[in-house]
Amino acid sequence: MALLNDEILKFVGLQSPEVEAPHPVEASEVRRYAQATMDDDPHYMEGQGADRPIAPLLFPTHMFRTPFGSPDVLTERAGDPDFDGGVALSSRGLPDLPTRNLVRLNGGMRVDFYDHARHGERVCMRSRYASITEKEGGKGPLMIVVIDTDYYTSDQRPLLRVQNTGIYR
Amino acid sequence: MSGGENVRVYGSVAVGDRIELQKGLLTEAHLMRWSAAMENWHKIHYDHPFTVEHERLPGLLISGSLKQQFIVQLLRGWAGKSGWLVSASFQFRAMNVVGEELTAWAEVTELRREADYGLVTLDLGIRNNSDKESTPGRGVVALPYSAGQPVSRPFPSR
Repeated sequence: MALLNDEILKFVGLQSPEVEAPHPVEASEVRRYAQATMDDDPHYMEGQGADRPIAPLLFPTHMFRTPFGSPDVLTERAGDPDFDGGVALSSRGLPDLPTRNLVRLNGGMRVDFYDHARHGERVCMRSRYASITEKEGGKGPLMIVVIDTDYYTSDQRPLLRVQNTGIYR
Repeated sequence: MSGGENVRVYGSVAVGDRIELQKGLLTEAHLMRWSAAMENWHKIHYDHPFTVEHERLPGLLISGSLKQQFIVQLLRGWAGKSGWLVSASFQFRAMNVVGEELTAWAEVTELRREADYGLVTLDLGIRNNSDKESTPGRGVVALPYSAGQPVSRPFPSR
């Protein structure tokens, strides 16, 4: 194995703490999301009781925003000409792999859908390193890192699982 | 409900059936609206000088997170109110930039009967107005055997 070592393999199965989105599913957020994706399904806004409005299927993956009171990175780095604007949470709550100088490429994603989140529900997420393997690519060895992230309501109803594949070389 | 008001049943689907969702011309305003809705401040989606001169990219990039919405919309709408989009996978193989017209597409490749529903596998992707494919992948949709028996949810996790 050229890239994999025992230090990296110890990460397989490692799980992040549960993170709860800072706000429940809110009508205004769903409206903006649906308008931005040009998806005018009336079920996003209509319904009552057990059939209260739903959120778009991928909406839970975008609920984990910068919490109120967090450092304002945009202001802190306003004078940095190399700042690319990225302020997203890194690694979905997981510790970074000790990959040193390897470059990460996006190897694709898979989403399994279980249910819609509904207005007013709170959403949680938890990630884990599902597998780390190595294979020989056309230009040398590649390390394939698969991270599973589960999204579910605060009463444990599953919503979706996102599987991201990272290719390191 | 699942998607749309249509009811699609397993027996009405055949291998080779093809569907499309045209999203039309995507402008700077569309990208900015999505970035604002997502609170995604990556400059490659709205700062043209930074994108072209600093990042050496051909133009403002249409977010992968926006493109995946189009695929999910297409499959969810096709599944109808009694079906369920089980899974979708895709790779971001090529960039799409502002000014392109995007169309999400899918084609039925396999049918499989399960006890309570039928599973439909589809190849999928996103093509631009130059017919360039950027986001190839695969989806699976569960459809009921009759209109009166919607696929139950939460759908069983794997």
